[in-house]
Amino acid sequence: MRSFRLAVRLARRNLRRRPAQAALLLLTLTLATGMFGVGMALYGSADGPWDRVWAATDGFHVSAAYYRGRDADRADVDLDAARARFAELAAAPEVRAVGGPWTHLYGLLDVAGGTEDLTAEIRDLGRSPVDQPLVTAGSWLSAGSDGVVLEQGLADALDVGPGDTIRVQGHQLAVRGVAMTVSRGRFPLSRPAQIWITLTTGEALRRIGLTEEGLEMQLRLHDPDDAEAFATAHEAIEGRGETSALFLDTWRRRRADSHSDIDILAGTVFAAGTLIGLLTVATAAVIVGGRMAAQTRQIGTLKAVGVTPRQVVLALLVENLALAGLATLVGLGAGRMVAPRLAEVSQTVLGRPETPTLTWGRAAVVAGVAAAVVVLATVRPAVRGLRHSTVRSLASGARPPRGPGHRTRWAATAGLPLVAVLGLRSARRRPARLLTNAVGLSLAVALIVVAAGLRPSLNRLAAAGSAPAQPGEALSAGAVDHLYEAVRAIVLGTAGLLLVLATVNALIIAALAARDSARNHATLRALGATPRQTVATLIVSQLGACLLAVALGLPLGLGLWSVMDGGDLPPVPVPATTLLAIAAVVPLGFAALVAVPARRWARRPPARVLTYE
Amino acid sequence: MSAPGGRPVVEATGLTRIYAADGVAVRAVDGVDLAVEAGETVSVMGPSGCGKSSLLHLLGGLDRADAGEIVLDGRRVEGLSETSWAVLRRRTIGFVFQSFNLVDELTAVENVELPALLVGASARRARHRAVELLERLGVADRRDHMPDRLSGGESQRVAVARALINDPLLILADEPTGNLDSRATGEILRLFADLRASGQSLLVVTHDARVASTADRLLTMRDGAVIGHTHLGGVAPVGSVLAGLADFGDAGGAR
Amino acid sequence: MRDPILALLAKEPAHGYELRQRLVQALGPPGRALNPGQVYVTLGRLVKAGLVAVEQVGQSSHPDKKVYELTAAGRDRVAEWLADLSWPKVTPTDFHLKLIAAAVAGLADPVALIDAQRHELLRQLREVQGAILVEPPDSRGGLLLEGAALRLQADIRWLEVCEQRWLDWSIR
Repeated sequence: MRSFRLAVRLARRNLRRRPAQAALLLLTLTLATGMFGVGMALYGSADGPWDRVWAATDGFHVSAAYYRGRDADRADVDLDAARARFAELAAAPEVRAVGGPWTHLYGLLDVAGGTEDLTAEIRDLGRSPVDQPLVTAGSWLSAGSDGVVLEQGLADALDVGPGDTIRVQGHQLAVRGVAMTVSRGRFPLSRPAQIWITLTTGEALRRIGLTEEGLEMQLRLHDPDDAEAFATAHEAIEGRGETSALFLDTWRRRRADSHSDIDILAGTVFAAGTLIGLLTVATAAVIVGGRMAAQTRQIGTLKAVGVTPRQVVLALLVENLALAGLATLVGLGAGRMVAPRLAEVSQTVLGRPETPTLTWGRAAVVAGVAAAVVVLATVRPAVRGLRHSTVRSLASGARPPRGPGHRTRWAATAGLPLVAVLGLRSARRRPARLLTNAVGLSLAVALIVVAAGLRPSLNRLAAAGSAPAQPGEALSAGAVDHLYEAVRAIVLGTAGLLLVLATVNALIIAALAARDSARNHATLRALGATPRQTVATLIVSQLGACLLAVALGLPLGLGLWSVMDGGDLPPVPVPATTLLAIAAVVPLGFAALVAVPARRWARRPPARVLTYE
Repeated sequence: MSAPGGRPVVEATGLTRIYAADGVAVRAVDGVDLAVEAGETVSVMGPSGCGKSSLLHLLGGLDRADAGEIVLDGRRVEGLSETSWAVLRRRTIGFVFQSFNLVDELTAVENVELPALLVGASARRARHRAVELLERLGVADRRDHMPDRLSGGESQRVAVARALINDPLLILADEPTGNLDSRATGEILRLFADLRASGQSLLVVTHDARVASTADRLLTMRDGAVIGHTHLGGVAPVGSVLAGLADFGDAGGAR
Repeated sequence: MRDPILALLAKEPAHGYELRQRLVQALGPPGRALNPGQVYVTLGRLVKAGLVAVEQVGQSSHPDKKVYELTAAGRDRVAEWLADLSWPKVTPTDFHLKLIAAAVAGLADPVALIDAQRHELLRQLREVQGAILVEPPDSRGGLLLEGAALRLQADIRWLEVCEQRWLDWSIR
């Protein structure tokens, strides 16, 4: 107990003596915990939304659809014949449950500035055993009411809900509910607009001129794995005949298609959140490591005055854990504030009904991550400091170099400018630090690759959604833009945050490197090296780590992309030219970053660095 | 006070350096006048914190004076940029520090040849001269060792070799024996005596009387100011001390 | 011990026991080991040498009726002693008393005395250093010189401490 009190006192004194360092560490840890908090909150919303909606709606294994087109005069197959075929399908031995067939009416929805193609699906009043849409607002169709149910995307685009009205070819309809299902994509990515109506409403709409355009039927099989074979077999039969208008689709195919649109963005947001979390953890580790290196000397002093090794480690742990605890609280708080907003957007995108919340379990994970960072970063240097004799840790703050004198010569690097040789030497002298920095930076490079990929992916998405306006697609401009604005905000925000964090990470690495070599560089200047030469030396010494990071980070980033794509997509949307540009710009940018702290040291008169013991 | 034929290699007038420590202005160097003639050894003595190291840093351009002027090799240097100072330092000044300040990433011989490479000497020439100096200072066998493998005396000899490689006009030594034991101190003193004999100008800041006593002139500093100035070289050796050492004690009973 | 006693008398005539008191005060712990008789024996010798004059005063209440006073020759001798820098003939104890006597009697500025002595020691050290440098590095003779140099170095360091202390006192 006494030793714990002493540790607390030492830790408090330390924090008071180096408030700036502690603040920096706290900030980074907070970013890490905050991002983890947000990421975990988002994880719920991105966790297979299609699967969840599919399960909640008793989704189909095979979907059968017949369309005869909107031209009422054209009838390749008459609808009765199609119904007969549907009945055959429904009677097949593999089929366990059947939804429909449901008649589809075609009409025009009146919207501001024109009309929008509309499909009205006539549903039975009872719950369908297959593909019963999930109501997210209001209620499902009922006998006593002529109200209709809107597909979620349509309701969002029109900004209407239960109690509002819509007009179909001049006929006013009350909105009774809003629902979603996997058999229908979201408007406007999936067109035409979809509403569900009762038989009674259907009769009314027929009277004002809506025509039957087709039928749809949803099947569940005994074995979901049979879906592919089932669809192929029956499609083959149909393909032989006179009609090409009957389509069979399987749940697996539909799910894969759903990945190609907005689902991937949700995954990206979560993945980016996690990556940001990882990067900040890496940065925090670098800072804690740098702090500990500076404290090796202090460990020696404490041991010299009779503080036991256990107390020393305890003091350092108390100090850093206190920071980690604070960071956890602030980070979780920030996560709570940010997550609902992100989740709200993702809900619009993904159709997830409930808002994700932060649970105690998640809080524990975040706290655990923060604690693990500081414990790992503290224990190693602390143990190292303890193993060394007191005298040795007093004698030198920096880690004593290993191994016998290198027999390497300048000649090995002959022909290079002096500063390059000095820089390379310095880099070779501290291989462990170089590796640590390279790991941190390669994460940053990977994130830049991811960020670079987000943009084209967004563009591709936008292109898919905003195809040239067709007749009957009056909503294109407004509704699509509204939807993409939210998505764009997330994507660009994430990309920007990734870049900022990568920069911060690099800056911290650069600042620590500059501090480490300050004394050697002051000596170089006493010998006649110019400030510019010492800056160049530092840049060269750090560039190795950066180049290594580029070599590691590019494939890592591409790997992350393919993980996020889920393998269902056409090749990675990061073009080779972009990768080349990253490979060229990152080292240049890093060199510029390193120059900042290096120049700050170089501007100081060397005497001040040399007299500081 | 310039001696006949001796032009000052460095001359400072009214040199002042003020530090702000906890909001209080401390006059680390307070109106110091000083000159080192060519071939002369000058010691600056004083208790720690008297400003003698700060004075040395000002003279070598490692720090900037708040007032006063310095003429180095006939050239006013107050307004020089850091870069111009660095370039000037390469050829005119060799530094020797108490804590040696060897670049810990380079071997002994690489440390020594560094200033030569900075002035643009070829790698071969620099290496040749560095080895020559290390041989002269008796540490040639340590040439490929990293600094952390050298003893204090060896480190300081390597540092002296490094200070000498460009044949500087002036060696500035800051407590060169501060971290050395008696034997190593003796080695460095011997080294300095050789340098003096070869006509090297030296300014040595020290609190070690043994080091200070070997100078031609001795300045005493206190609280940033020079309070005493003694010519040691001019005093004819009386030989009394050596004679006293031959006194076996039987003459001492008078008191 | 003769010179310090002379110097202590320079300020004003004094009784033997007063002198002893002054000595004990100036020397601190080593002074307490001082044999009382030694002061009187020394005074007697100084009287015999004509450096000190003695006067009997009628003072029935006190056993010691003698008051000692410097003669002109004695004053000369004190001045000579203050100027003598011949270390180590002047021992640290001598030098210490010299500073005190000089300060008490106002005969000389102690800091100036210290400075002069320091310069003398530096000169001696220089001489020894010079001799060391002539010797080959590992000669046996060099070892003796090394000892002399280290003693001188220690003495000079002590003088620096003295200087600092006397400067502080003079400021107060």
